This record gives sequence, structure tokens and C-alpha cells, in this order.
Amino acid sequence: MPATAADTLVWRMPPMDMSMPMMPGLEDAVPPALPALPDQQAMGIPVARPSEVVSLADGDTLHLEATLIRRQLGGRPFVMYGYNQQYPGPLISVTRAATVVVVFKNELEEPTTVHWHGLRLDNRFDGVAGLTQAPVAQGESFTYEVFFPDTGIYWYHPHMREDMQQDLGLYGNMLVHSEREGYYSTVNLEEVLVLDDLLIDSHGLIPWGQTSPTHALMGRFGNVMLTNGVTDYSLAAAPGTVARFYLTNVANARTFNITFGGAPIKVVASDVSKFEREVFVESVPVAPAERYVVEVHFEHPGEYAITNAVQAINHFRGEFYPHVDTLGMISVAGAPAAPDYGEDFRVPRTNTDVIADVDSVRGFFDRPPDKELSLTVRVTNLPVPIMMAMEADTLYVPPMEWNDAMPMMNWLSTGSQVTWIMRDAATGKENMDIRWDFALGDIVKVRIFNDPKSFHPMNHPIHVHGQRFLVLEMDGRRNTNLVWKDTAVLPVGSTMDLLIEMSNPGDWMAHCHIAEHLSAGMMLGFTVHRAPPSKGSSGD
Amino acid sequence: MTTFLALAILLSGAAPAGLCEAPPEYYKIDLVPTRRVPAARQATGAAHLTYTESPFGISVSPAGHYRYDVEVVVENLRPAPAGVYVAWLSTPNLKEVVRLGPLTDAIRGRTEWNKFLVIITLESSARANQSRWQGPVVMRGLSRSGLMHTMAGHGPYEQEPCTVYGYY
Repeated sequence: MPATAADTLVWRMPPMDMSMPMMPGLEDAVPPALPALPDQQAMGIPVARPSEVVSLADGDTLHLEATLIRRQLGGRPFVMYGYNQQYPGPLISVTRAATVVVVFKNELEEPTTVHWHGLRLDNRFDGVAGLTQAPVAQGESFTYEVFFPDTGIYWYHPHMREDMQQDLGLYGNMLVHSEREGYYSTVNLEEVLVLDDLLIDSHGLIPWGQTSPTHALMGRFGNVMLTNGVTDYSLAAAPGTVARFYLTNVANARTFNITFGGAPIKVVASDVSKFEREVFVESVPVAPAERYVVEVHFEHPGEYAITNAVQAINHFRGEFYPHVDTLGMISVAGAPAAPDYGEDFRVPRTNTDVIADVDSVRGFFDRPPDKELSLTVRVTNLPVPIMMAMEADTLYVPPMEWNDAMPMMNWLSTGSQVTWIMRDAATGKENMDIRWDFALGDIVKVRIFNDPKSFHPMNHPIHVHGQRFLVLEMDGRRNTNLVWKDTAVLPVGSTMDLLIEMSNPGDWMAHCHIAEHLSAGMMLGFTVHRAPPSKGSSGD
Repeated sequence: MTTFLALAILLSGAAPAGLCEAPPEYYKIDLVPTRRVPAARQATGAAHLTYTESPFGISVSPAGHYRYDVEVVVENLRPAPAGVYVAWLSTPNLKEVVRLGPLTDAIRGRTEWNKFLVIITLESSARANQSRWQGPVVMRGLSRSGLMHTMAGHGPYEQEPCTVYGYY
């Protein structure tokens, strides 16, 4: 990485809950990697501005540039990364079935790419360095043709060192509108909410690892919450407003559990489609890279806090404790909203178009798995106190890590010590040694087991590139309300059956979307062939 | 002839075969008999947890508690000379108790406690309005989360005095 030369930068221990004593033997320990950070004293860095909507028609061109930017968070200045000097990057607004050209230029000192998360686009433009394209070096450009086959909310981000580049601000949304009237219910307002966190102490950004990510065990949890890139997000609405929120979790590792101040929530859609049936929920858990579209009814005047409410864990004390982050405020005041969509809101819709779409693959639901994966981890050369603590502390591992319950141990672990593993049950192959072959049009059931018997099991949001899938079952329980996804979270000890529609030819990747887990190896490759793969061509 | 009360495993969807060795295993609470009721000394059982149905796969409350469906499965539990076996859920400090019902049918319940106990007791009757057990505890089990404990006093924190943190 770029940034401040490592010889002038030193590690600082991340902020910790001081009710937990420092682990003996780790007082002076630092990650076995050089620290890296954008030069916080750099001159001439442009001041970033909030995200702007860019409406594009089929065939239009967008120029997108990754640069250093200057931002204010909580009144403090930071030098970070940005697309087109915005935070988040420009909100690309298009109509379904459009193709736009994005001329991307990299003005950062380190190589990068742009991945168009969730889009079933031409493989050449998927943005995976080393698989579909070469990294874009400083000063160089790459032209993407971005096709939008599905209505919904999507996002773009680098596919190189996501742990650092994405965390520093390289992300933006794509809102794909349906060409059909009434695709969603009519609402009073629509808002895109990008959820993130950032790890900061009193001196500024905690450095990242230069050649290998820190926080390789659990991923880098931030201690400052960002909604649409700011710490004080607010929204005004009239009483009676029905609002549609497009939620995207762009955090490295944190799963959010979102509420809207007690206002009723109806979940409408997720990554790549609407649900078969809308349902009312009390909160919205959103794992990294997942998206949910929800409608919320603010019936009465008042202040509604957008919160992330979790049961955090204090491993030293062996206890759960409630933790709430306020992510923003919605002020509901003034004259009543008009028209009043309250009655419509109270009636959840059945989406016959989605049911009909799913019908095309329903005949595959009961077939045995075509592929089986287990998820685990291998560690080497971690400090002895960490090994001792983990041995004493793994009688119970929470299904989901909602907070960084072991910040020191987590920080000290790097990608050089931790290998996160996807293992193919049939061949024993691991990670990118797995190269599955499928034919275009195959409907493939993949069973994934998150093995709890490892050094440090953890939840994994699994992302499949270039295709869409259904989560058919979790722990043997059939999912009765399906939605097309590209990312789904698998808790510790659980098993998930995915039914993947191989609808898009090319060389693709599937991986954990915790940025540090991805950097620590947790990815596999698969090819969707236009013609059936010849016998013996399979990598497994 | 001795009749054994044997409840079939009713967990929806058996454990997937192959690599995925009994995935609900991680969400299984073994029930261990006490010595208080002779008819139960050979009993075995478990409570199986699955996430309550949710559009998100995982299921949590607005405060972030996991929401589980609990299914109690008991075998080799001989009928008691008198009384009815009843299943309960309780917080570890026993302050909150939920009656799941008598062991005559599929025993299902729901919980969102962070840590909890599964208790089988022998009650004099199957009164549905009973808020707490009165009879002897026949079997009990602790949620896996209950195994989480303080590190004070052992492992790398061996020199850390437990009492400072309120543990005795």
C-alpha cells in the first residue's frame, strides 16, 4: 500500500473495552505486518462531498475515479479514499436491462478494481483481480460494460484488499428500477441507507496491514458507525409517511440488526429480487454485503432512532450484554403525509411474479446436493496467550459475532497466520484449488456446513459471483418464503442449502464477504461453460 | 410389561448426511437425569434448537437475542408411579420460567433467552396454568451459551483474581 511510509508509522492498539484487563503477555505485541495508512498530512487533497445520484440510460457512460479525499467525521479530518470525491460513491440510478459504460480510472497509489456486486453481468467486467482482469495500477484505466438484468439495490466496491480499500470509503450503490409500474408498493419517500463502521482512536484511523490484513480472525469491526458515510445521519418525514429503505451493509465484518425506533417494518426484497411474500418483521439483520429493501410506517409524530441493537459478548466475563448503536435519526413532524399509504402498508403483498420465477426451479428442491463444502480455519504462529485463551474460550462460540469480543487477539492476527478455508467434501481441495465446472443452465444444489469444531469458528456471509441463488434450507428447515440472493450468511454450526442457477457463463468466484476472511483465503473458483464441460475437465 | 415413553425425533428435517455431520448438533442440549426419580435414571434426551422462521435465515429479536424453536426429545423415561413429566425452560438464575408442557406429545417451545436451562420435572398433575414446577427435577440441560464463563483465574488470566470481577 501506499500511504504513509511504514517507517514513519507505528502500530497503535485499537480502542478496547477497558473493563477487560489486558491479556498477560500481549502488552507490547503488535501485528506481524507493517502498518499502512493514507498520508493524513497530504496536501492538496480535495474535500469530499456527499453521494450524488447519477441517472443513466442504456448506453450512457459514467467516468468513475478512485482518489484520495478529505473527509470530516465527528468534526475530525481524515484522509480516506473515494469514488468521484464522494462518500459513498455516486448512486448509479438505472432502469432494469440497461447497459452502461463505466470508464474507471485509478488515481490511488495502489492497484484496484471495481466489482459490481450482485449483477449478473458479462464475466469480463466482474472486476476480480487475477481472475477476470488485471489490477488497475495508478494512473491506469479500465472500461467496464455494466449490465443490470435485475431490479433491486446493488453495490460496487474494489475486489482487491477490500479490508482496506472498501473500509477507506470505496463503495457506492446502484439502484435498478423496474420498467414495470407497481413493482413495489407506492410509498411517500425512498431512501438508500449504506451501513458501515470505521475503526478510529483519538489519533485517527487505526492503520491497516501493509501486505496482509490485520484482524484476520474476526474481521475488522469499527467503533464508529457510519450511515451514508456520516456519523449523524438524519431524515425528515411527515406523520403517516410510508418510507422505503434500501439497506446495504458495506462493513468489513459487522452484521447489523436494524430497527427504526419501533416503527413497523415490512421486508419487501433482498439482494436480487422481491420475496415471494412480504412479511412484517421487528428488526432487520443485515450481514456484510447483503441488501434488504424494507418499508417502514412512521404513523405518529416523533423522533425515531435507527439503531443497531445486539447482544454483545464480553468474553473475559463470559457474559452477554445489550449494546445499541444509534445510526441515525428520523424526525417525523408537520402536516400529515399525502397521499396516505398506511392502509396499503398494512397489507403485505404476495409477489406472484417471484413465485412464478421460482417455480421454474422448484423441481430441483428435493434433489441431493451436487456439491458440499465445509468452512473452517487453520492458524499458525499466533502468540501463545491467544492460543491459550482460545482453548479456554471455545466451549461456546456464538452463532454470529455481533461485536469484536476479543479486540486485541483479533487485531494481532494477520493473513499470514490465519487461513480461512472452504473445503470441498468430495475432493478435500481447499479454496482456490477448488475449480468447479458447470454448464450454462445448470441448477446446482450446494450444501455448506460451518464447522464449529475449529480454532475459531465464525459466521460467514457467502457471496456467489455472477449468478443468483435461493437459500432452500437452513439446518434442515425448509425456507417457505424464497428470495433470489447473491449473499447469504451462515452461522456457526449451521448448514445451508443453496440452489444456484448457473445462468451466466464465465469464470467466477464464491467467497466469504468478511473482507479479512477473503484476504485470508476463503474463496473458490467455478466456471460456467456455454457448452457442457467435457468429461475429465473438472478440476475436482 | 414396562412401557417406555419414547418421543420420536421430531426436529423438522433430519440431519443432512455426508460431510455435514448433524448440523443441529451444535444446537443440541443434552438432558441429563438426576437421581431423584428412579424411573428416570436410565433416561436420555435432548433439546434441539432451530432458528424460528425468519426471512433472514438467522432469527433475532429487536434487541438482538437469538430466537429459537426448542424441541424436547426424551427416551427411556419410564412412566412414574404417579404424576406427569413436564418440560420447562428457565433462565439460569431460575427467575423466569416457561412451561413447555407435559411429555405426552411433541414438546415444542420458543425462547430468546441468551442462556437457559431445559428442565424435566415430575409434577402431580398436568395443570396447564402452573407457572413454576413444584415436583422433583428429573432431567436438566444447559444451553451451550451457558458454558461461556469468565476467564478470570485461569488460562492466560490465571493471575487475575476472580473476586475483583465479582466471581467467587
